[in-house]
This record gives sequence, C-alpha cells and structure tokens, in this order.
Amino acid sequence: MTLFIQTVVNGLLVGGLFVTISIGFSLAFGVLDVVDFAVGEWVMLGAFAGVASTTWFGIDPIAFLPVVFVVFAVLGWLLSPLIYRVRTSHYARPALMALAFTFGIATLARGSMLTAVGFDPRTVDIGVVSGTVTIGSLHIPALRLLGFAFAAVATALFMLFLYRTRTGLAARAVAQHKEYAGLMGVNVKRVSSLVYALYAGLTAMAGVLIGGIYSITAQDGPLYTLLAFFVVVLGGLGSVGGALVAGLLLGLLEALVTVYISADYTLAVVFGVLFLVLVISPRGLLRRGLA
Amino acid sequence: MNCAAAMIPGTRWQQSSLLVFLVVVATVPFWADDYWTRIFTGVAMWSALAMSWNIMGGYAGYISFGQVAFFGIGAYTTAVLMQKGPGWGFFATLPVGAVLAGALAVLIGWPVLRLRGAYFAIATWALAEAFLQIATAAGFTGGSSGLTLPINASTSFFYYAMLVPAAVTFVVCWLLLERSRFGYRVKAVRDHEAAAESIGIDTTRVKIQAFAFSAVIPGVFGGIYAYWITFINPTSVLAGDITDQMVVMALVGGLGRIWGPALGATLLYLVDRQFIASFGETTAYIAVLGGLLALIVLFLPDGLISLFSRGHRTALSRQLLVRLLPGRGGTTGRGGRL
Repeated sequence: MTLFIQTVVNGLLVGGLFVTISIGFSLAFGVLDVVDFAVGEWVMLGAFAGVASTTWFGIDPIAFLPVVFVVFAVLGWLLSPLIYRVRTSHYARPALMALAFTFGIATLARGSMLTAVGFDPRTVDIGVVSGTVTIGSLHIPALRLLGFAFAAVATALFMLFLYRTRTGLAARAVAQHKEYAGLMGVNVKRVSSLVYALYAGLTAMAGVLIGGIYSITAQDGPLYTLLAFFVVVLGGLGSVGGALVAGLLLGLLEALVTVYISADYTLAVVFGVLFLVLVISPRGLLRRGLA
Repeated sequence: MNCAAAMIPGTRWQQSSLLVFLVVVATVPFWADDYWTRIFTGVAMWSALAMSWNIMGGYAGYISFGQVAFFGIGAYTTAVLMQKGPGWGFFATLPVGAVLAGALAVLIGWPVLRLRGAYFAIATWALAEAFLQIATAAGFTGGSSGLTLPINASTSFFYYAMLVPAAVTFVVCWLLLERSRFGYRVKAVRDHEAAAESIGIDTTRVKIQAFAFSAVIPGVFGGIYAYWITFINPTSVLAGDITDQMVVMALVGGLGRIWGPALGATLLYLVDRQFIASFGETTAYIAVLGGLLALIVLFLPDGLISLFSRGHRTALSRQLLVRLLPGRGGTTGRGGRL
C-alpha cells in the first residue's frame, strides 16, 4: 500500500512538469494552427542546456533557468515566423506542409544533437536540492518536489498572462479565430511569435528539471513529443483546462506502469490509452477539444 | 502493339523514352556490377516506400509519420516465419506480412480517420514508437539483438525481387489513383473534405481504404528487405529515420504525383549512399534529412517534379513575388485542415 501511495505521489509530481509543457504546446497549436512536432526537442535541448550549465560554466542549473528561458525564447521567436509563413502560404496544402516543416526542424535538432553528443545518457546535476523529504512513511525525492513547485509557479504565471493581461486576451482571441482577431486590431503574427517564444522558453526550462529527475539522451526528443501529444489529445486539442488534468494523469500512468509492469512498455500502454480515448471520446476526456 | 500504345498516355516521343527506360531498368544486373546493382535494388525499394507514403500524404492529404511500423511488421513476419521452427519459404511469407500490415492499418485508421486534422499524424507516429519499444522488449523478435535469416547471396535475385513488386506498386497506384473513381474520391477528400462528404462520398471509408492500401506496400517490402539484409533488429527496420526518409523522398520528388516519389527516392538514395561512402554511418545524416525537409517546405513545396511541368516558370515567379511582397500572407480562419 505504501508503495502504491508512493508511486501515485511520485507520478503526480512529475505530472506537473508535463502540464507545463502541454499547456504551452496546446496554446502554440491554437495560435499557429500547427501541431509542433519539435516540442520534445525543446525538452531535450533544454536538458542539455542544463548539463552544459554545470560542465561549461559551473553554475547550478536552477540558477541557470532564466538564461535557458531567454535563449530558447529567442530561438522560438526566430523560428515562429517561418512556421507562420508556411502555415499561411499559398501552397496547395499549407497545414500539411507546416506539419512537415516542424517535423523537419525536430529531425534537424535530433540529428545535430546526436552528432554533437552521441547516444550516451546524461543527467542534469542539480546541486541545490538533494535527498528525500520524509512525510510519515512516504519518502519524496526533493528534486521532484522542486520540479512540481516550478511547474506550479510557471503554469500559474502563464495562466495569469493568458487570463489577466491584454496580450493574453489577444492570444486567446487568435487561438479562437485568426481573421476576427485580426479585424479587432490584433497583430496575429506578433502574438503568434510571442506565444511560441514563451512556449519554447517554458518547455526548455521544464526540460532542465526533467533532465534532473530522469536521465536524458539526444534521441529522447520524440518520446517527450509523444507524451505532450498524449496530454493534449487526452485533454482535448486546444483546451488548456484539459491539459491540466491530462498532464497529471500521464504522470500517474507513467509511474504506475514503470513500477507495476515495466518501463519497457510505457509507450505501448500510453498508446493503448490514447487509442481508447480516440475511440470513445475523440474530443478529449473533458470533451472540450476541437475535434 | 498499336492497342497497347494507345493505352499509354503521352506523345510518341514520351512513349519511346518510356520503353527505353523500361528496357534499361529491366536489364540492370546484366550491365552493372554488383555494387551498382545493389544501389538500384535500394532505389527500387525506396521508390515504392516513398510512393506508399505518397498515397496518404500526397493523394489523401493526411500525413503518416508511422509508415515504418508496417515496414517493420513485414520484416519481422518474414524473419519469424523463416526461422528454423516454422521454416516457411520466402515467397510464402510476403502475403502474410502484407495482410498483417493492412489489417493493422484498418484497426488504427478506424478510430483515428473518423477525425480530421492532426490526430492521424500523431496516432501513426505513436504507433511506430510503440512498435519500436515492443520489438525491443519482446521475446519472439529476439529483442535488441534481432533475428538472423537464411542467406541468399544472389544480387540479381534481390534486384528482381525488389523491382517487380516496385513496378507492380507503381502500376497499381497509377491505375487506382489516376485512372479510377477511387482516385477521384481520394483527391476529393484531400481538396475539400466537407464538400466531398456533401456529394455523398463516405470520406472515413475512403481514407481507411487508402491507408490500408498504403500500409500493404511497406508490409511486402519490409519482408523482402529482411531477407535481403539477412539480419534485422529493431533499429534497422523500425527506426523513425526510415519514415523520415520516405517523407523527405516523397516531398523532394513532389507530393501527389505518380513519378514524384520515384524521382525523389532515386536522388536521395544516391545522396544517402554517397554520404555513407564518404563519411561512414553517421547521425549527421539525420540532421541533413531534417534540414532538407525544412528547406524543401520553405522553398520548393511542390517538389522537383514541379520543375518539369509546363508553366512552372510562371508558377515559380508568382511564388517568388508572393514571398517578396510583405503582408501578402494574410490571416486564415480556423477552418484549415491539418
């Protein structure tokens, strides 16, 4: 029983990080109208930035987080206009092309990192927190607590931006209808770039923490892309509230499968659940997505 | 003869160059050495694989990022059935792989293809990743150490074993997609799914049929490939790079055209071999594939084959104008398909 509770708590704590990734991913899908296949690569690159912070600069990865955010936000800001251009181009099938484009960027990132650092797994060495926190009979790794705290703060700030600022209002308007938002005086292209930049920065920061909790290799990008997909499909494509619930569920599912079945079958189980959700309720568990 | 010539489209000049092309292709093992015969064997295989991707990606307008799953099913079916225990003959295993791949496509397509948009791309990709994981963990696939098949050292056997199915693939695709009502239905789904539905096309059914058809092809070629390379493991027949390569080949050649994938596959396979010959097996090739894919989408969305068609100059200059004039992109509503 203790093992079960322990697993549930561990799973939910990691689930917080999945929520952070998925909310940005979901909103980026909303404003750019493209499913970004590069999401997992941002996680992977972020984790390697965390590795670099200790080995190159000797700075603790947690202190390095703001730098990671800025660097990846700038990268996202530069990449977003290209996605936007493909998506709104006069090609025969712009949506399909945009999907292929982000897939190409993801493949480029994975191939470059594989060439640069090889297949060896690395761990982000976070020195600030270590050991476990003991509550009753539960032993919670402090790093997971920190990850969850980070995820909660980042998600809350992101939600504040979305629901309490005028730019956030514009972003939600663009996600709902680009043409009407444009007619209301919203600069669709700039808002898209801003959202994409925020999302890339947030995802890379989450990547630093994920790289501390698990180890990461240069070929892990697709795994995290898949998990982000899982969350947004489960929560309903484009639904922020759905992503909140589904992200925690994914953390739970992953922990349970790892402990009670085998880590080798995580993806197979995740895929099985995804398949069932699509059969039973294509618009996500909360039926809020855009089918 | 006249009758046969009348069935083949194009001018006399085009017909005779097609004839020369067919003769050259059919006699490769007689005039090329073993190295080049192997290269052309690969070209035949990749042309058919890229064509299979083109059925969904180019004709139906749905991207499959998990095409390698069907390739892997074919490879493992042949490998498992040709082991000492079952001891099947090579040709008997191919239909089994094809049927398994097709059945799986129907099973996956049934929930996913009822929906429009990106779900299909996501689900096929998840499927391929799950298969990679299962094949690595499961017992009957030999895990990560893989399976070894009986050896057949004849280069020309494999050339024809790839060439004949590839030729059949292209003829069947041409007949089904360019010369039948089925082809019109598939293209109607691509061009305007709602309109296609409104004139009475069962779009879900058409999409599932097209997907099953596009899955059978890699199912067969996976089997031939396994016998050709005599040793398979999860990374050699289920790695995502194989899908990437199909996607890039089809895009380089030109989406939604019969000859596009063949052109793209030929060029890219030669580049691939040259790359390996000069730099060895390196992961840099993955980066090159990705960069190439992004560049093609940005600058040559209709692929190389569009350079051959009439009026491509006007189309190109128009595209150039669109790019150079700022603000022409405009905004789109939510209605777009993914």
